[in-house]
Amino acid sequence: MSGYTLQALYADDDHLMKAVRETRDQDHHISEVYTPFPVHGLDKAAGLKETRMAITAFLYGLVGFGVAVWMMNFMMIEDWPRNIGGKPSFTFFQNMPAFVPIMFELTVFFAAHLMVITFYMRSKIWPFKQAENPDPRTTDDHFVMEVETDKENIQDVAEFLHSTGAKEVDLKR
Amino acid sequence: MSHYEAPVRKPLVTGDKVYKDVTEDIVRPIEGRANKTWWIVFSIALVAFLWGLGCIIYTVSTGIGTWGLNNTIEWAWDITNFVWWVGIGHAGTLISAVLLLFRQRWRMAINRSAEAMTIFAVVQAGLFPIIHMGRPWLAYWVLPIPNQFGSLWVNFNSPLLWDVFAISTYLSVSLVFWYTGLLPDFAMIRDRAKKPFQKHIYSILSFGWSGKMKDWQRFEEVSLVLAGLATPLVLSVHTIVSFDFATSVVPGWHSTIFPPYFVAGAIFSGFAMVQTLLIIMRKVSNLENYITVNHIELMNKVILVTGGIVGVAYITEFFIAWYTGSPYENYTYLSFGAATGPYWWAFWALILCNMLVPLTLWVKKYRRNIIWTFIVSIIINIGMWFERFDIIVLDLSKGRTPSSWAMFSPTFVDVGIFVGTLGFFFVLFLLYARSFPVIAQAEVKSILKLSGDKYKKMREEYGDDVQMYNLPEQRPLPDFKGMVEELEQKNEEVRDEKGELIESLLLKIGDASNDNADDLKRLSGVGPALEKKLNQIGVYKYQQISKMSDKEFTILNRLIDAFPKSKSRFWSGEANILNQI
Amino acid sequence: MILIVLGLIGVSAGFLSTPNNVKEVKQQMEASHGGHSDGHSSAQQNDGATSKDEHQVGEHHADEKSHAEHAYTFLKNKPWSALFVSLLFFLFISLGAFVFYVIQHVSQAGWSPVLFRVMEAISKYIVPGGVLVYVFLVLSSLHLNHLFVWMDPEIVANDEVIQEKSGYLNIPFFLIRAAIYIGGWILFQRLITRNENKQDDGYDQSLYKKNITYSVLFLAFFAITESMASWDWIMSIDTHWFSTLMGWFVFASMFVSGITTIALITVHLKSIGYLQFVNNSHIHDLAKFMFGISIFWTYLWFAQFMLIWYANMPEEAVYYVTRMEDYQLLFLGSVALNFVFPLLILMNSDFKRVNWIVTFAGIIILVGHYINFYLMIMPGTVAGQWSISFAEIGALLLVGGIFLYITFNALSKKALEPVNNPLIKESKQYHY
Repeated sequence: MSGYTLQALYADDDHLMKAVRETRDQDHHISEVYTPFPVHGLDKAAGLKETRMAITAFLYGLVGFGVAVWMMNFMMIEDWPRNIGGKPSFTFFQNMPAFVPIMFELTVFFAAHLMVITFYMRSKIWPFKQAENPDPRTTDDHFVMEVETDKENIQDVAEFLHSTGAKEVDLKR
Repeated sequence: MSHYEAPVRKPLVTGDKVYKDVTEDIVRPIEGRANKTWWIVFSIALVAFLWGLGCIIYTVSTGIGTWGLNNTIEWAWDITNFVWWVGIGHAGTLISAVLLLFRQRWRMAINRSAEAMTIFAVVQAGLFPIIHMGRPWLAYWVLPIPNQFGSLWVNFNSPLLWDVFAISTYLSVSLVFWYTGLLPDFAMIRDRAKKPFQKHIYSILSFGWSGKMKDWQRFEEVSLVLAGLATPLVLSVHTIVSFDFATSVVPGWHSTIFPPYFVAGAIFSGFAMVQTLLIIMRKVSNLENYITVNHIELMNKVILVTGGIVGVAYITEFFIAWYTGSPYENYTYLSFGAATGPYWWAFWALILCNMLVPLTLWVKKYRRNIIWTFIVSIIINIGMWFERFDIIVLDLSKGRTPSSWAMFSPTFVDVGIFVGTLGFFFVLFLLYARSFPVIAQAEVKSILKLSGDKYKKMREEYGDDVQMYNLPEQRPLPDFKGMVEELEQKNEEVRDEKGELIESLLLKIGDASNDNADDLKRLSGVGPALEKKLNQIGVYKYQQISKMSDKEFTILNRLIDAFPKSKSRFWSGEANILNQI
Repeated sequence: MILIVLGLIGVSAGFLSTPNNVKEVKQQMEASHGGHSDGHSSAQQNDGATSKDEHQVGEHHADEKSHAEHAYTFLKNKPWSALFVSLLFFLFISLGAFVFYVIQHVSQAGWSPVLFRVMEAISKYIVPGGVLVYVFLVLSSLHLNHLFVWMDPEIVANDEVIQEKSGYLNIPFFLIRAAIYIGGWILFQRLITRNENKQDDGYDQSLYKKNITYSVLFLAFFAITESMASWDWIMSIDTHWFSTLMGWFVFASMFVSGITTIALITVHLKSIGYLQFVNNSHIHDLAKFMFGISIFWTYLWFAQFMLIWYANMPEEAVYYVTRMEDYQLLFLGSVALNFVFPLLILMNSDFKRVNWIVTFAGIIILVGHYINFYLMIMPGTVAGQWSISFAEIGALLLVGGIFLYITFNALSKKALEPVNNPLIKESKQYHY
């Protein structure tokens, strides 16, 4: 036995949300939803877990902060201590106010860039990646919900999707 | 769930738009052809840019002596331009980040272009310090690299080095923020494109964005976190620019209010530049329904607020300069001495352009008058240029040693480079306006039902919980069961066909089993994946492969996806040798 | 019904804290006064060592006076300063809350109208608080205390720097200015809240629009008067010292304290069963402001400190030298309380929705900003002679008691939901 996926096309976000809720109530498994814009509340309605992007950003920020502290301490204090403008920078803490700007910048730099790279990797998007949306209209004004089913139930599920008001129902090949 | 917004709020999208209209309106300037006006403006900008390029080449080949700097005023025109451009580059990220955190929906119509403007402006800003180095090919010395590559370790106590970190972080983070927001919009253009070349380009640009729900969830979280990071980042950038001056002991530069005051001034000038650009763009690209008079008024209010903050800072500077009791403070850029001294015109240009003219925006009628707003925005930009000129040149011209007081006059090279950056900026912006979705359409669509006038009217008429869509005409259901069966049958046929092929193959080369299989990865072009596939067919031993000829490789080519046909012709030879060792 | 019950709770909460405190404080004040006059002779002996530092800050040109006399002046100043810190702190809390309230009007914020009554109640303290501060300033100008050295004609006569400033720093002008600031704030507070409350009987668009106009006018007025008030009441204590950032630095502190107080009172009311229409998204947003403005405060704190540290000009650096040498614990502690804790506690989005975490962070922030004001005033008036004793705690309790009484009394008199605000529906279904 092998699984099949049905694609139901909707022309409105509210309509889609209603259909998503009904489909979940019927215990059908929604494998994917393609939308042209972020539909508020869709992730919760479709039962997605919360994303952990913010946490990664926090961790990357800590890394950036650490790199900044290590770098400036090594270059200015350990490797080549200098007395600049009558301010001996021979210990890290005496000189710290001057280090704060770069600590901040590197924290942001690491957090922002590494988080975005993580996002691209996790969502598998990069140059030359082929798009996977089933219908070109889903980046314009249409919405596709994909529901998994098997050979036996396929007609019932299709009829159910039809009854939710789907504009078109298709089989994913 | 309902899309409710208080009726007192004015609609942000006018003209009864639905989702489809948003797409069409935003794509039109990209799919259409450029008109004559665009070409004329573009040519002027290009000429200015080339002129500036000439001046830069002249400066670099001859030396900084071509500029108007002198011993007293060793910083003037270039740093003024640098600060001016960086300041302009503040509105974009402010709009997209700070207004996102404050959940101001009106930002969605303007954030894309404002961010583009930010990036282009910061690029212009970055040029000036690099040219001022005199030997720009050694610009990499600002990086923290070990001594043997050139300089000593960089000096982390220098605000100028902080600038390097701040501005490069700002530029790169803004770029990433902007680009991530662009992905869904590029995807939209990609899916509409008819010409293969265009489709290919936008396909690459869109990174294969498909609009999956998990991607959107991450997208929104990433945007929010980036906004949270970019907000202090925006503040830090102009703060650090202000440190360039404020950490010194030069009267007029050393002032603790500089950091927040510079930031407010930057936003003030940045919004003025956004007004200048968007007022033209909404007209040329027919986007009046998205960038409404309401948007312009709101931006004018931001200008009023930041202008007010700047005004309070001016008063503070003026007052404290007197309050210190220090005689040197009487010659700073905001002082009685400046107002009556040789640079009186620069002082009064600042007061007029930044304090007096913007006062007209207090009147609602002028705030909503597009032409007046346009004029005021240009005046503010001039005024903010003078503010930086005043801070730098006036404060340096009368320092603590009266014997070295001096005046500054720019040369044609100074002016030329400035004009050149203006040209470069407009070249970039004009190209952007022709090839990028200038409004974040995905975001506008997400607020359309809240703030679009069509839907606001619907709520007014039928109550707040009205259903905002019509059921579509449904396509009748095909016979999926039949389709599936047909599909399975076809698969089976394919499988049968494959089975026959494999049988004929094995007949020629002989059977083998997994026991003491040879390491097929030693053949050229075979990796673990291909080895596995070969094993699935029943090919395990070098001996089998050595018996293969072109015919067998053709069969393998049919059975295995991405079979390395060109390399396989070496296999039988290789397998022969491998078999003997 | 709700009104009556709330009234009882509000009034009893107010009264429970106030009368106790008033008595307590009076005793303490007397005790501390007595203690000082008794103890100043012993203080004289102990303070020889530390008086060098005080010397820099207090009275530069009174060299002929003995160190002991300095110490005596400082100790005499101490209860006065303590009272002044508390008076200013609570006035600025209510002013900060009022500014926040007014900004909600101007920006037509959709999330906050459910909290308007709380903000209005807090801002009500501007009236008595303003009067109290004014009375205090009048008493100072009558030379009952020695907080503002420039008020002392003897010192001015020997101090050229102060003489140059006397065009601005003189008693009549000082009092006139203070009257204008406080009067203006009270006027706007009455005007705006009255218009808002009138709408409980029915929505009136003209009043709504008028309030936006008044709010804008208030903000313009406030922007200037707040800076000047900080120069007058705080910066002029360290008469020689100057910083252009002072006004905005004080503003950041008052703003975050005001918002924190709004959050604390809201959470408290919710916990005893009121304000059920306030959901955790509203608390989240208040906490977000607490977080954001705390960082903004730190930004200004750092900007001021770093620039003065970096340039190291003697006339400026002396300000931080005193604070770092005599007040090291508080000086570093205030940064920890006002920056590190809010940053770590309130960064997480989920934590901002949890009432007890917000309360905990709020208390830390309030303590931190009390210390911030303490650090702005005390070093200039008592130099090294500081301690957190009965005078400080008593003053804090006294003024805090009055503040809470006024606030809860105001809360008890009004329905807690501004039913006719045009944005109330948006605010009630606000969810984020």
